[in-house]
Amino acid sequence: MSPTAAALATSRSLLGLQNMARAEIAGLLSRARAGEPERSLAGRLMANLFFEDSTRTMTSFSVAAKRLGMQTINLRGAASSVSKGETLVDTALNVEAMGVDALVVRARQSGAAVGIARAVKCAVINAGDGRHEHPTQGLLDAYTLAESHGRLEDFDLAGLTVAIVGDIASSRVARSNIAGLGALGANVVCVGPPGLAPASLKSLGCEVSADLDGLLPVIDAVMVLRMQFERHDEEGGEKKPEGDRRSAMIASVRDYRELYAMTPARAERMKKGAVVMHPGPMNRGLEIDAEVADGPRSVILRQVTNGARVRMAVLGWCLGRDG
Amino acid sequence: MASVLIAGGRVLDPASGLDRAADVAVKDGKIAAIGPGLARPGVDRVINAEGCLVTPGLIDPHVHLREPGQEHKETIASGARAAVAGGFTTVCCMPNTSPALDTPELVRFVLGRGEQSAARVFPVAAISKQRRGNELAEISLMARAGAVGFSDDGDCVASAGLMARALAVVKPTGLAIMQHAQDPTLTKGASMHAGEIALKLGLGGWPRVAEEVIVERDIRLNRGIGCRYHVQHISSGETVAILRRARAEGQPVSGEASPHHLLLTHEACIGADGLGYNTMAKVNPPVRETSDMKALREGIADGTITVLATDHAPHTDSEKALPFEEAPFGLVGLETALALYIEALVSSGVIGWMKLVQLMTVGPAKLCGLDRMGLGRLEVGGPGDVTVIDPEVKWTIGQKDLVGASNNTPFLGRKVKGRAIATVVGGEVKWEGGR
Repeated sequence: MSPTAAALATSRSLLGLQNMARAEIAGLLSRARAGEPERSLAGRLMANLFFEDSTRTMTSFSVAAKRLGMQTINLRGAASSVSKGETLVDTALNVEAMGVDALVVRARQSGAAVGIARAVKCAVINAGDGRHEHPTQGLLDAYTLAESHGRLEDFDLAGLTVAIVGDIASSRVARSNIAGLGALGANVVCVGPPGLAPASLKSLGCEVSADLDGLLPVIDAVMVLRMQFERHDEEGGEKKPEGDRRSAMIASVRDYRELYAMTPARAERMKKGAVVMHPGPMNRGLEIDAEVADGPRSVILRQVTNGARVRMAVLGWCLGRDG
Repeated sequence: MASVLIAGGRVLDPASGLDRAADVAVKDGKIAAIGPGLARPGVDRVINAEGCLVTPGLIDPHVHLREPGQEHKETIASGARAAVAGGFTTVCCMPNTSPALDTPELVRFVLGRGEQSAARVFPVAAISKQRRGNELAEISLMARAGAVGFSDDGDCVASAGLMARALAVVKPTGLAIMQHAQDPTLTKGASMHAGEIALKLGLGGWPRVAEEVIVERDIRLNRGIGCRYHVQHISSGETVAILRRARAEGQPVSGEASPHHLLLTHEACIGADGLGYNTMAKVNPPVRETSDMKALREGIADGTITVLATDHAPHTDSEKALPFEEAPFGLVGLETALALYIEALVSSGVIGWMKLVQLMTVGPAKLCGLDRMGLGRLEVGGPGDVTVIDPEVKWTIGQKDLVGASNNTPFLGRKVKGRAIATVVGGEVKWEGGR
């Protein structure tokens, strides 16, 4: 069997955490803890197919792949044929036809990775699709939370309460975390103004609150989300210039900060051992203040470090033969 | 013109209440006789209708035929072929073409194309110029030219001011305003029913209230005017309740139900593989929840909903292959509607056959003023439009059954029962098959 055919026979995709069982998620995290053998995927090819901007995630996947001995290629949206009108699926089929073993896909459309996975035979790893899921972020967040609370043994997060704060409605990270942390037993509370954290989120299996200050003394972790002004276009009407911080979802930045910004005063009110997380990129001075992001409770850079480790495990899980 | 004898069936004519075993003879484009054991000599063609229902030609008052402008999706001719294959002898096409049907010249264009096609085709004309919702189109002229109703379908008449003027201007034509009820400020970025599945999939949710507020508003606007007002493709159970109250007050309002809203919920958007983003089930307004389906069926049973309509909306495979939020709304319905209505309404015991036929003949004929032409009923001397339905034939919906230009339906592969086996339009057999 040719290497490619062998790869096809054993490859699988990671599209989201919502449809994964607890044992499967814990298994992936255990695999990350054990550490994927260096160069175990030597000779295999991973393509980063990023139709939407990213630095951290794309670099993290590249680092993970290189440590496994894989070759990597990077295609970015503007440089691909999508700018000439080609569909995402056509681009993916073309890249696959060049002999790629794994496609790491980032796109602004919810369901983009699912659509590509339906069309191709190689492994597809969802690196963030619209407001849907960002499963490797969900996994690295679960890993970091387990690490900071001594749960690396079995990844049982029972008894831990995590507040996800801010722009939940626009967030694929929130959806992967509600599913992943929830499956592992954590109690997840989504916190934000009603436009960003609507009560309907409860149907995802989390709690919803507008009272961050009330929660601070009882939570074990706060995960601060970036305010995604660029995804508020549809609500606000006209396409906004880049960097425009107006939004139909919040009255103003200061109005939002009054109740939801992670300030040093709020960080101080958290209990001993409680940690502050952020998936990045951060709007310092908006949803999180620099003193908190760089402060003693912050595990934000641990998230980044664990990201490469988790993504190595995911690549091994998707392409390896030992399942 | 050839003569046709439809022999040995059970004749159902809701307009007259006729329900008996009889033959139907059609000659020179008209119904020549209805009665048992009609003479066969001299008849050019005999259709064996044993075990079948013989009904007035079915009417679909809500289809999209895409001509002019999007002939790669459907044409008036191909849509008419799909119609007769589904047992429909008459269809009313919506004005969201390119250009929009907003002038008497375009109304005449559609009527002319219709005359060359397999089914009778009547245009519903735009309420506003270019369907933009800003200024009224030439409503009186389009009514004179042969429009059978007014709608900006595809878009809601969102402005209360414009709707008030439209109701007043349409009223003297005797025709109905057909509203696509969707408050656009509540549906920005929405692509499926606002519920658990949209949340999980990260898709913008389309709330029921977007439909309800428009219907409530329009009924109030119309109180002092009294124009005929019709709610298209009802998706929310609460809209049925709003209509029920208005009808009880004697308001001239009506509503329609579509096959997908009677049979599917938002779970259809998940797809067979469980991964989500099944664009075949993406439709405007969206399919919702079991409670809505149930309320629609109750509305049909108690007479609140008087019309069935497919909202036949052809799109190409490549358009439906786009990511969910970018794929167009809609599904084709003409070829499959009858079997799906039978499943949702008759097999389930909601209504009987006579009522089903009424909702597909008398109801839409009245809505579009086609009763004045004698359509929607079987009457000696009236138009020779007859549909022969085998209520028992079992079939699986497949690509080959979709004879229009597009194949987009979430019902592919569904096992259904009941089908039109012959469709006679103006005395000519335009479709025979299906068993």
